[in-house]
Amino acid sequence: MAAAAGPVAAAAVAAAGAEPAGPGEEAGAGPQCPGPARLARLPLARVKALVKADPDVTLASQEAVFVLARATELFVETIAKDAYVYAQQGKRKTLQRKDLDNAIEAIDEFAFLEGEFLLGFSWFQYFQ
Amino acid sequence: MAERPEDLNLPNAVITRIIKEALPDGVNISKEARSAISRAASVFVLYATSCANNFAMKGKRKTLNAGDVLSAMEEMEFQRFVAPLKESLEVYRREQKGKKEARKDKDKKTDSEEQDKSREEENDDDDERMEEEEQNEEEEVDN
Repeated sequence: MAAAAGPVAAAAVAAAGAEPAGPGEEAGAGPQCPGPARLARLPLARVKALVKADPDVTLASQEAVFVLARATELFVETIAKDAYVYAQQGKRKTLQRKDLDNAIEAIDEFAFLEGEFLLGFSWFQYFQ
Repeated sequence: MAERPEDLNLPNAVITRIIKEALPDGVNISKEARSAISRAASVFVLYATSCANNFAMKGKRKTLNAGDVLSAMEEMEFQRFVAPLKESLEVYRREQKGKKEARKDKDKKTDSEEQDKSREEENDDDDERMEEEEQNEEEEVDN
């Protein structure tokens, strides 16, 4: 089926990522240009809280938290685009939960999500 | 039923904005899809942290650094993130350096006593800002 969804979306992300963006340039630069050089939009304190939830982690540098935040943003962009391929196939303009499920099942990089979605919040339980 | 840990969720407003900007104009996201992506993002952070921590431990370090996170991305098969992340990191480093130098210049004009205060404030300011953002986003999450 849409086994090509992964690489196609990946190419799209890579191409978009190659767009040069001025430092500190706002999201308003345009929906088609995510701008890799943009600073994090996710609040670092929240990301840090997630990092701290891991009992094996002693300390994380501020830079590490920043890179994690940016990586998470790229991840959200990626998974949204990959899921959207399925909405398009269904001729829909609204992204639905099943589009996500399809993307997760079809794309190797999202395999780490599979157990989580079936079992709910098992990751969080582990850290509790 | 497991209690949903509110502070391990990422702010809905920010997640929604990122999704909307990644998709073409006129495309909507159902609440369930948005919620699922938000959970996926949290799991992503947890998984990436765990991976990154393995690299830190291999390097006999107790502090996770940016390099560990980049190594984790490769391990997780998100190599295409590495280049844009490195660029972002450069900008971030320049900004942090700029902040420090701006403080230093300000400090040079004041007493040495006040210099110490400013340095403390620098750390507090950052934490305060994060807390503020956190509070703002908390309101959205409680929906």
